[in-house]
Amino acid sequence: MKETIIEKVKDLFEDSRIEAFLGLKEENGQIGPYLFTDPKDLEGFSLGDKEWPGDKRYPLSKILIALAQKYPENRFGILVRGCDERALNELFKWNQLNEEHVVMVGFPCPQELAEACECPKPYPESLVVGEKVKGIKSKKVEVILNMGMEGRLKYWTERFSRCIKCYGCRNVCPVCFCNECELANDDLIPSGEIPPENPIFHLVRAAHMAGRCIDCGLCEEACPVGIPLRTLYKKVADIVDSEFGYRPGYQKDQKSPFNILGERPED
Amino acid sequence: MTAKRIRFLKEFLSFSGIEPDRLRLEWVSSAEATRFVEVITDFIDQVKELGPSPLKAALAAQDLN
Repeated sequence: MKETIIEKVKDLFEDSRIEAFLGLKEENGQIGPYLFTDPKDLEGFSLGDKEWPGDKRYPLSKILIALAQKYPENRFGILVRGCDERALNELFKWNQLNEEHVVMVGFPCPQELAEACECPKPYPESLVVGEKVKGIKSKKVEVILNMGMEGRLKYWTERFSRCIKCYGCRNVCPVCFCNECELANDDLIPSGEIPPENPIFHLVRAAHMAGRCIDCGLCEEACPVGIPLRTLYKKVADIVDSEFGYRPGYQKDQKSPFNILGERPED
Repeated sequence: MTAKRIRFLKEFLSFSGIEPDRLRLEWVSSAEATRFVEVITDFIDQVKELGPSPLKAALAAQDLN
């Protein structure tokens, strides 16, 4: 799979369709994001699988925002899984990136990773190699729903009470791009106090994810205290889908229901 | 837009374990004093019936651990 992607990227460089390619590279035993500007560098190219599939994922789309701001005239290729593509689709809609300057090079996740992520679409549309694997429906949301009101409140307040307010969830999030973050506003969330106001801090972030979160799960992976953020945001996405028929990252031409006035919903 | 957010929030609160009936959206004009009183009185009754917020007890339980 890797070789085919490398060939594809080389072609993009040769055809002058891109000036740089944002992917992953293994160096000294470590895998990290790397901006390839010379096809010769592609030797150390990596898909982010070290110990197990997808254990070295990075929010490449978020890194691309910073690069595109610095080099607005340049065209970038970017390595994408299904979730990365959904993130990019949202970032195009929110005018954070210019679609015409981005070439996606997609590969599918293996079934194993799709199941671990409970990913609804573990492959991108811009697939250049590999087979599409089956999407997985989440069971974790159901488990929490079955706890009943009291159980759910206990579950979430216990999880949120672990928060050390490292902002890892926000910092790694590919669709977190606000210039000013209300969760870092000292008047609302006083610095030096942990856990941050329980459960408000996390519920505010979750509500802000409505119509945005593309379900990549990087937040949960980054969380040092194991708060099941992905499950929380999966429910957020489910509500937005059932109420407004919208799933972030899937349709390019459809905007978030919270971003357009639209029709008045029934009470 | 607000109506959309409230619809979302009600179900979201429920998933978090907070009764969605503690949240209500009403439109009242500044010229509708009588209606304002009615809406607020009704909502107070509704919240009283629900009783104290379960949040306080849930947070107190965290402090004990």
